[in-house]
This record gives sequence, structure tokens and C-alpha cells, in this order.
Amino acid sequence: MSIHPDLLALRSNDAPQRHDQIAVTAAVQAWRKRAQFARLEREVERFAAGEPLDALPVLSQLFKPGCQAAGRLVDALIAPLVTALRGHPLGEVPLRHYVDDRSALLVLSQSGGAALTVQVIEPTGQAPQPGAKTVTFTPGMAHERILAGAGEADLVSLNAQLPDRADLAIEQCRLAAGDCLSRDSGRQSRLIRTVTKPLVILRLQRRGGSGELTREYDLADGRFLAQAAASPRETRLELVAALLGRMGRSDAAPLLAAMAEEEAAQSLRWQSLKECLGLDTATGFAALQRIAARDDDMLAAPAGALRAQLIETYPQLKGIAACPE
Amino acid sequence: MNLPKIDLSALPDLHTLTGAFGSLFPTGSASGGTSDDTIVVLMVFVYERLIQP
Repeated sequence: MSIHPDLLALRSNDAPQRHDQIAVTAAVQAWRKRAQFARLEREVERFAAGEPLDALPVLSQLFKPGCQAAGRLVDALIAPLVTALRGHPLGEVPLRHYVDDRSALLVLSQSGGAALTVQVIEPTGQAPQPGAKTVTFTPGMAHERILAGAGEADLVSLNAQLPDRADLAIEQCRLAAGDCLSRDSGRQSRLIRTVTKPLVILRLQRRGGSGELTREYDLADGRFLAQAAASPRETRLELVAALLGRMGRSDAAPLLAAMAEEEAAQSLRWQSLKECLGLDTATGFAALQRIAARDDDMLAAPAGALRAQLIETYPQLKGIAACPE
Repeated sequence: MNLPKIDLSALPDLHTLTGAFGSLFPTGSASGGTSDDTIVVLMVFVYERLIQP
């Protein structure tokens, strides 16, 4: 294996790396000062809390057609950052970033479920690109501005959502510098088909609330393919419920029963109910009976089926009456 | 009352399963929409290496 001499030297002395890191961090800090970043960050926090873009003067300027504020904000970061990286190649950009073979993403500001990012997408080239076969709708709000570049995209709208498929409408559109688009990302998704000049996109997005789901459909016929939690909180709580179960924490059974009965994502409630049943049969079965008896609960039917299955396997459970909620 | 211990593995899942947060890529990205189980692989790795005795 060949290792660059500069990197090899870091094993015994990491001072050059630390110096480079200080220089790159200083370039980002200087941009933050110049760009009145504190004000912008406060508005990202307010956007995360649910305020509309129109109520946020600094952020709304970035997505107003014809306004140059977005270009100035990004130019003021990228130019000094590239200079700093050229002079200090061992430094790492102190902003969250993601790179793959076709795109790069830099998170300028993040708060709660909201983020302001800038993304670069490389040209697709002459070779025909495999088109997307599926479309994903993620609950939330997205405001986008094309800062530079050109390409073509499909704007896919979710007109109606049925249990096993969706009614989709697809509209082709051209992407050009200066274009602004605001969309409910749970109902509308943009699929970039071709990129003729590198696309630079400024994006402000906010995730949907607790209990919502990201859904994926087949583009050709609208068939439902998969779903995932749209909020990290749901997944975190599901993991917590599973962990309490594996730890044998029977003292957590009342909490798990309460989680199963409150308003939340169905998968989280079902997982909590199962773990509760495994930890404490009486508490879990009483919660199961209460859920099965509800008129307006989507989990009532599977809870009723599970209740019947358990009574068949363990007839002594018949003696447990459902306590009032 | 002497109640039985319920075997968790015998309890059914819901008809439609829900993936972990992050297991579906948004279609706005250059890579397009597709499912990805990297997060599950990471979770299993952490569990096996750090949590499981």
C-alpha cells in the first residue's frame, strides 16, 4: 500500500493537520460573521418550529425570484473555503457534508427537523442514464432555488393515496438558474432526469411531524412498494421498546402499555404492545383488550386477532378483564 | 392468577411493515429513490460489537 509522505508524517507529528484544520475552520467562521449567520440560524430554528417561510425575512430573501441574496450567501462561503482548502489540503470542512460519485451536499445550517443545504449535481454526460423507477414522498416542506446549471426533471404529484397504490401525475420541467420551487414534499417529488451543466441547488427543508411515513411507489403503475418512519423519534422509541424487552425490564411494562395506547405511528404502538406482552402478560393483555375494543383505532382489528390467537393458545387469559383506560 | 409467559417470537407483525428512519432515500437526491439497509447493517454491527457480551 502506498501512503502519501505528508500523510505518513502525520503518524509521528499531527501538527500540520491541526494547523490546516484551524485555517479551514477560520474561513468558515469568517463567512458566518460576514453573512450575519446568527440571524439566519435563528430563522432556521423558527422554520423548524413550524413558522412559514414568508414570516422569515432573511430566509425568504434566499428563495425570492430575482433576488441575488442566495448567490451572495453561497459565493461568500465557497470562494474562501476553496482557497483555504487549496492552501491547507489536510483540513476538513467543519460543516456536515456528503459526497458520492454524482453529487455533493453541504449543510449550511441545521436545527431540529429543518436544514439549509447546498447541493451540486454533476452532468449526466452523453451516455443515456437509467431513469428512476420509483418515487419517494417524504412528509415535510421543501423550498428550492437553482443557483446555477441546467437540466431536466420530472415533477411527480401524489394526487390520491390508496391502500396499495397511489394516483400519480408526472409533469416534465426544465431546470435553469434562478428557478424557485416550493413544494409539500409529502405530495410532490422532483426527480432530476438529466443534467447538462452542473446544477447547484440551495434547499431549505423541514421534516414532517411525529407519526408520519415516507412512502415509495412504482413510477410506472403507482404500486405501493415500501414505507419507513419519517421521523427519527419514532425509530428511536421503537429501538428503546425493543431494548427494554431484551433487558427484561418488566417494570417498564406500564410505560410500554401507555405507548401502545397513545397517538403515535402504528408500527411503534404495535412494537410497544408486543414488548409489553412479553414482559408482563397481565399488563400487556389488558392493554391489548382495550385497543381491540376501540371503534376508531386502526390497530383494533389486528389487536382483536391477536387477542383471539392468545386466548386459543393460553385459555387462562380469558380471566383478564380489560381495565378502563 | 398464574399467567403464562408469552413468547415474543410467536406474536405476529402488522400486515405492512415500516422501515427504520433513513432506510428510504429521498428521490430529490441525485441517486434517485431507492431503499437502503445501511442503517440496519450499522445497527446490527453496533449491537454485535458493543452491546452483546
